[in-house]
Amino acid sequence: MSDNEHTYLLEVDRVSQSYGTEKVLRDISFEMDRGDVTVLVGPSGSGKSTMLRCVNRLTEIDSGNIYLDGERITGPDVDVNELRKEVGMVFQDFNLFAHLTARQNIMLGPRRVLGLDKEEAGKRADEHLEMVGLTPQADSYPGELSGGQQQRVGIARALAMEPKLMLFDEPTSALDPELIGEVLEVMRDLADRGMTMLVVTHEMSFAREVASEMLFLDGGKIVERGPPEQLFDRPEEDRTASFLRRITEMHS
Amino acid sequence: MDPTVVAQATGDWAFVLDNAPYLLVGAVLTVVLTVVSMLLGFLVGFPAGIVEVYGGRVSTFLVETVGIVLRGTPIVVILIFMYFVFSTPSLTLGLFDVTVTLSDAFIASVLGLGLRSAAYQSQIFRGALQSVDEGQLEAARSVGMSKLEAIRHVVVPQALRRSIPGFQNEVTIVLKDTSVVFAIGLAELLTRSYDLFVRQTTAVLEVVLFVSAIYFVLTFITNRGLDLIGSYYEIPGGEQA
Ligand SMILES: Nc1ncnc2c1ncn2[C@@H]1O[C@H](COP(=O)(O)OP(=O)(O)OP(=O)(O)O)[C@@H](O)[C@H]1O
Ligand SMILES: [Mg+2]
Repeated sequence: MSDNEHTYLLEVDRVSQSYGTEKVLRDISFEMDRGDVTVLVGPSGSGKSTMLRCVNRLTEIDSGNIYLDGERITGPDVDVNELRKEVGMVFQDFNLFAHLTARQNIMLGPRRVLGLDKEEAGKRADEHLEMVGLTPQADSYPGELSGGQQQRVGIARALAMEPKLMLFDEPTSALDPELIGEVLEVMRDLADRGMTMLVVTHEMSFAREVASEMLFLDGGKIVERGPPEQLFDRPEEDRTASFLRRITEMHS
Repeated sequence: MDPTVVAQATGDWAFVLDNAPYLLVGAVLTVVLTVVSMLLGFLVGFPAGIVEVYGGRVSTFLVETVGIVLRGTPIVVILIFMYFVFSTPSLTLGLFDVTVTLSDAFIASVLGLGLRSAAYQSQIFRGALQSVDEGQLEAARSVGMSKLEAIRHVVVPQALRRSIPGFQNEVTIVLKDTSVVFAIGLAELLTRSYDLFVRQTTAVLEVVLFVSAIYFVLTFITNRGLDLIGSYYEIPGGEQA
């Protein structure tokens, strides 16, 4: 890409991926600008998690290209650990380090990957604990926290690397209904601060309010994309309409 | 009670007490063999467990095969192999002005017991490593840690904690298995007790009780010690995240 061209923060260009003979992603293309919140929806097995995992290369693509901030991040010559410093990920099951306190969970990446000393990493952890509203729980272990609190630690852990892009894979799906709100609130706050976020979620009210764009994925293809008002209120595809109707009913 | 029986019983206990120092030297050898063998077993078995879980195809295959051979061979055979076939050398260690000479039989015993324990310990660690949820490894990778860093800082600390019960078991087994070193001429606790009741056959029960008490104390101390380590490092709120 030449410098005078507009560079997207994330550009996914004709990406295909398969597990063995099973084609999971088929020729996916989309872009995100800085500060965009893109919400990815679609039925189970449509490839949403796979798409996210290709962006930080927990999963490898078969063909196509992905660019972060104008730089190609796919291909064998890319240092994946360097890439992952720039792209944070939040998991459905939190995946906190069970033997470390909330604060230590957040410090580990900055210490081991960014090379911060204990004091600097601790300071950074405290800032991010405050951002997610967990200062009092700093020294609690994951097993002592509620699901909602654990997920907020998960978000803080990813943010502490100061990434350019955050990936969320169904961050509230494992939570009891009464705990979903606190996590969505943190995510909303993050969007307001201008973080670029690619989010897989079934929380349609969040999508409607926060998303700059929605992608509806089915069978590994983008069936429809556009601002949330379009997909919810005047979808072009029948499949989009019926899926969103179903999911909205299920979650309200 | 028949006074002669009482006198004889007292005499047998006196016999045991007279020979207590002889038995205690054997107990010291038992303890030293156990500790050194467990240590060697850990130093070899822990990396072996890591290779079995995270290694490439060839390294995993090699380590697994050696493990199967070691676990499948009677310990006496391993010792005899070490001593007579491999013919281990003796070793003189100097520390400041103290020098200790370790006999060739001692070296063979430590290698045999230690490597066999490594083969068992590798299975303890393998299970413990595999029991740590893979999602945590992935989370560590997702912040940019290399696989090795992720294993070291995230998986290993949790796996070590989960290895403690298996490790307790293994210490007890090695402690008792040290008795086979008699096959290459070393006299530890059990061999010495055998010597004793062969010399005074009426004292079999007394000797056996005395020796059992020593084994019990040793086992009890190591188990309690490892329990304490386990509870010291226990993760508040439990293992699950
Ligand atoms: N590691 C894997 N090995 C083989 N197949 C896989 C693997 N991961 C996912 N798949 C398959 O790829 C397809 C897409 O999976 P993916 O997890 O991306 O879907 P998803 O849209 O995230 O679904 P869900 O809503 O259930 O999370 C599925 O058919 C799944 O079975
Ligand atoms: Mg998924």
